Amino acid sequence: MHDNEHTSHHHEESFIRKYLFSLDHKMIGKQFLIYGLLMFFLGGGLALLFRWQLAYPDQPLPIIGASQQYMDEGEVVTGADRMWERIYESEKEEWLEINMPNGVVDPAFYNMLFTMHATVMVFFVVVPILVGAFGNFLIPLMIGTRDMAFPILNMLSFWFAVLAAVIMTIGFFVPGGHAAAGWTGYAPLSSDAQWTGVEWGQILWGLSLFVQGLSSLVGSINYITTIINMRAPGMTFFRLPLVIWSLFIVAILLLLAFPVLSSAIVLLVFDRLAGTTFFTTTAEGGGDPLLWQHLFWFFGHPEVYILILPGMGIASELVAVFSRKPIFGYRSMVYAMIAIAFLGWIVWGHHMFQSGMRPGLGSVFMTTTMLIAVPSAIKTFNWLGTMFKGSIRFTTPMLHAIAFVSMFVIGGLSGIYMANTPVDIFIHDTYYIVAHIHYVVFGGSLFAVFGGIIFWFPKMYGRYMNDTLSKIHFWLTFVAFNCTFFPMHILGVGGHMRRISNPMQYEFLQGFEGMNIFITMSAFTLGFAQLILVFNFFWSIFRGKVAEQNPWHVNTLEWEAPTPVPHGNFGQIPTVYRGPYEYSVPDEEDDWIPQTRPEHAPATGGD
Amino acid sequence: MAQNNTGVHERPPLSNARLAVLVLLGAETMLFSGLIGAFLVFRVGNVTWPPPSHIGIELPRLVTGINTALLLLSGYTMFQAHRAIQGDRAKQLRRWLLITGVLGLLFLGIQGSEWVQLIGKGLTLQSGVYGGIFYVLIGCHALHVLTAVIWLLVVYGLAVAGRFSAEHYVGVDTCTIYWVFVVALWPILYVLVYLL
Amino acid sequence: MLQWLPENVSTFGQGVDNLFYAIYYITLITLILVMATLITFLIKYRYQEGKKATYIEGSTTLEIVWTAATTVIVFVLAMFSYPQWNKIKSPTSFPENPDVVVQVSGKQFNWDMTYPGPDNEFGTDDDLTLENELHVPVNAVVHIQLTAVDVIHSFFVPQLRLKQDALPSRFIDMWFEATKAGRYEIPCAELCGFGHSGMLGYLNVHAQTDYDAWLQERWPQ
Ligand code: HEA
Ligand code: HEA
Ligand code: CUA
Ligand SMILES: [Cu+2]
Repeated sequence: MHDNEHTSHHHEESFIRKYLFSLDHKMIGKQFLIYGLLMFFLGGGLALLFRWQLAYPDQPLPIIGASQQYMDEGEVVTGADRMWERIYESEKEEWLEINMPNGVVDPAFYNMLFTMHATVMVFFVVVPILVGAFGNFLIPLMIGTRDMAFPILNMLSFWFAVLAAVIMTIGFFVPGGHAAAGWTGYAPLSSDAQWTGVEWGQILWGLSLFVQGLSSLVGSINYITTIINMRAPGMTFFRLPLVIWSLFIVAILLLLAFPVLSSAIVLLVFDRLAGTTFFTTTAEGGGDPLLWQHLFWFFGHPEVYILILPGMGIASELVAVFSRKPIFGYRSMVYAMIAIAFLGWIVWGHHMFQSGMRPGLGSVFMTTTMLIAVPSAIKTFNWLGTMFKGSIRFTTPMLHAIAFVSMFVIGGLSGIYMANTPVDIFIHDTYYIVAHIHYVVFGGSLFAVFGGIIFWFPKMYGRYMNDTLSKIHFWLTFVAFNCTFFPMHILGVGGHMRRISNPMQYEFLQGFEGMNIFITMSAFTLGFAQLILVFNFFWSIFRGKVAEQNPWHVNTLEWEAPTPVPHGNFGQIPTVYRGPYEYSVPDEEDDWIPQTRPEHAPATGGD
Repeated sequence: MAQNNTGVHERPPLSNARLAVLVLLGAETMLFSGLIGAFLVFRVGNVTWPPPSHIGIELPRLVTGINTALLLLSGYTMFQAHRAIQGDRAKQLRRWLLITGVLGLLFLGIQGSEWVQLIGKGLTLQSGVYGGIFYVLIGCHALHVLTAVIWLLVVYGLAVAGRFSAEHYVGVDTCTIYWVFVVALWPILYVLVYLL
Repeated sequence: MLQWLPENVSTFGQGVDNLFYAIYYITLITLILVMATLITFLIKYRYQEGKKATYIEGSTTLEIVWTAATTVIVFVLAMFSYPQWNKIKSPTSFPENPDVVVQVSGKQFNWDMTYPGPDNEFGTDDDLTLENELHVPVNAVVHIQLTAVDVIHSFFVPQLRLKQDALPSRFIDMWFEATKAGRYEIPCAELCGFGHSGMLGYLNVHAQTDYDAWLQERWPQ
């Protein structure tokens, strides 16, 4: 592997320099990817735990739960019984006993589970993979430069992220348990330990997100500077691939949104540690419980677009490449993303329609929110337009891109119900919202992530991922995903509240037991499917079929670099002569023209 | 910061480092927007301000006003330092930097002593949102001044080592940008917190 | 899908349901259109030996068409929603002269319902506070002053199509008029701690005579 490194950059690197504290954007991207995949299992595992409780309320978990006999009569039957017996006899307060007595998820533990599920998924899975991994790997390659503007900051951004994850993980084991006020951490529930009994968990939660904020800050400064200043000659803004556009816009959103969350966290931690009363009303002078919600959602709504925009970018690449056609309306795609990013700042109140905010504001936020359907419509129809009269190849990445488009539309359309203030009165804080969340972040972001991983894997590791396994993973995920999350719409219409650990306590929800069991079964299947992906990923790194330099016949610059990409990326910095989506140009022999082919050069086959 | 690559422009109008600092200021602005937003919510949400229990405690408007002037002056001296190096006057650069640093430290010192007095009078973090947001917001700015001063000292050290010239003064440039931000932010806070 | 909606028993509930249906059909039609187009394209324009894709860069006309169409749909929808929302949530458009006024207060993990008693004033001796039981007459305008003691809770009666967060030390007004006697659940819909799941009150809507009897029993005169 070392032989084909670019000579001027050739130097032996120690293991630590190369794999741990690497300054190379490609290695940092891979680090983010693997880190995100690992955290995906943590977040998903937590979801499976609480899904069990929702389907079989107050019944012990399989394997680690005690048997019925043991719970009724104290009679030891299974190995798990023996374990519980030992735990009870030791009379020490064990973690397991506090959180899952007899293997049953305790209500307080339930709150902690979904809080951490969402926190992990949003901050430690989707953002690191979409922005951290794809951003780092793709930006320098696709704009044609040798590395990021500030490689050291780049490395810092990864290690800050790891530090944040470590702090977050420690929170599981501190006395009082981890944060349990939802991923939205509404005050005053979160701002005073007396309401939840959570002492350090909530503080570590805040601290961890603060550090994560530093990581994002450093990362986005790097991305913005790199994209503005270091594009290859000829790479004008309107020759940038859409995925780079999306990452650029997302970097700006991250840069501006995260500090607002940080300011809220500062106030929260002061409330917790220094005895201030920012979020509670007292005789001394009033704090305001709604303040937290305003600050959180002012950050939070841009954050959800941070989760989707890179997905849109990736989907755009895949749809164009595998339809062998230019993106339909390239410029309007860019403007639509800018419009989404801009509108994202003035809609935060749609999370607060029922919060006690002035009703007049509700109407304003409803209007701005529904307006986001307009740029989203542009994007959706342009993807369809790109497929129109194309020559569509159903490769696995393309399947993921198609899933992305269709699932995003379902998730987006369910957003319209909630944006509508009167309808939101009923469906706010029900499973309708949960269905929406997962259709956009799993059906949207994660399908794009999967598609992107398979698509760029040959560039990252010089090998293909095993296609059979990828196809099995795709179909299993697609079916299990819909079985898991579609029925949640029905739960929501039935009024099923979210964040409740035992729906069977309510008379009007009795009819939903079967549906909850079905959802849980599907969720386990969904989890199983992800094992295939991860196995395939690691197996293919070492054993996959070796890939050629540009296996999918793509125009963009990253495929011009040799595989595996050496230090410094390109032998000579490429010059760009055309846009990224010149596919199936009439009177050309090939159906693709690399961005580096000069305007009037004779058409030669291959390179 | 050596650039590997010329990019689209033969030479981008703003070098990487300058651009990065400007981008950073975007984030800083949003951080302060969050805190100022919180302040305004408290300010508007309470019928009387300061809340009844704090009527007796006056914020030191006059002293802080003078302090404001000092900080604004430091903005001017920083500007002079910048001008000096553009004109390749290394010695003047060092002098102006020193004056700026001293003014910054003076600002922090005066504010520190004011805080000590206020705490003595009973205005603490725990005295309702009035005390709380005062210390958090003003303290956050003070931290930024401190950062700026440390940054300035580093630049001063480099200047003493003779690292800057009319061709090469990115270090001074970035520090100036940051300093100006911190200085320009202060009058807004002064008006909001002390005067209104 | 909408047959899963709980039965509606409030006067304004029908308006909410109508909007729900309207959006349901709009989005359903949109979804079918998008999916049908997608599937058609996938089949029709799949890769075929010797057939090349057609080079199309876009179409400004189409771009304008779908921008305009979506904008119109969205604004029409908004126009129909404003009055409905104001009717339910804006104190200025509440029906005046309520038949019953109750203070409801959320606390970990119960609802306190406080009646002003015959003098119609809160804070007097004849106030009556019931835990988790709210009694109102059918076909009567009920005003509720909603508040909370500790953290944020949310008053939710699915059958009334009514939900409102309760904030500590702040009173929020809401109203309803139930059209059918019965006993309905009042779950708490905002996460409020480990007892959130199961924080449950009951709304008892009585026929007028039963309600009078209940009043008589509480405040005998
Ligand atoms: C990736 C993440 C993502 C994305 C992209 C979106 C996109 C949207 N979201 Fe979503 N949202 C979340 C993540 C996301 N959301 C999360 C995580 C929550 C819950 C937070 C919590 O409480 O825990 C939430 C909650 C949430 C709420 C609060 C609900 C409540 O708590 O009561 C609302 C309300 O308005 C809303 C609306 C919307 C809208 C209108 C869009 C729009 O952007 C969608 C636009 C797209 C389309 C409309 C489809 C494509 C368009 C067409 C096919 C054209 C034709 C369309 C029409 C004619 C209408 N979202
Ligand atoms: C990016 C975001 C993201 C992702 C990917 C997911 C993925 C999943 N989510 Fe999550 N979810 C949120 C974001 C996300 N969620 C948010 C923001 C909330 C709101 C939280 C709040 O209210 O505060 C939420 C809430 C939420 C709820 C509501 C909880 C409640 O309100 O009480 C539920 C309920 O079913 C749920 C389920 C799931 C499931 C089953 C998955 C699955 O897709 C997960 C699949 C992955 C795995 C399962 C892991 C892989 C495999 C293993 C661990 C190996 C072991 C497996 C086997 C042996 C089978 N989620
Ligand atoms: Cu009270 Cu939830
Ligand atoms: Cu939102």
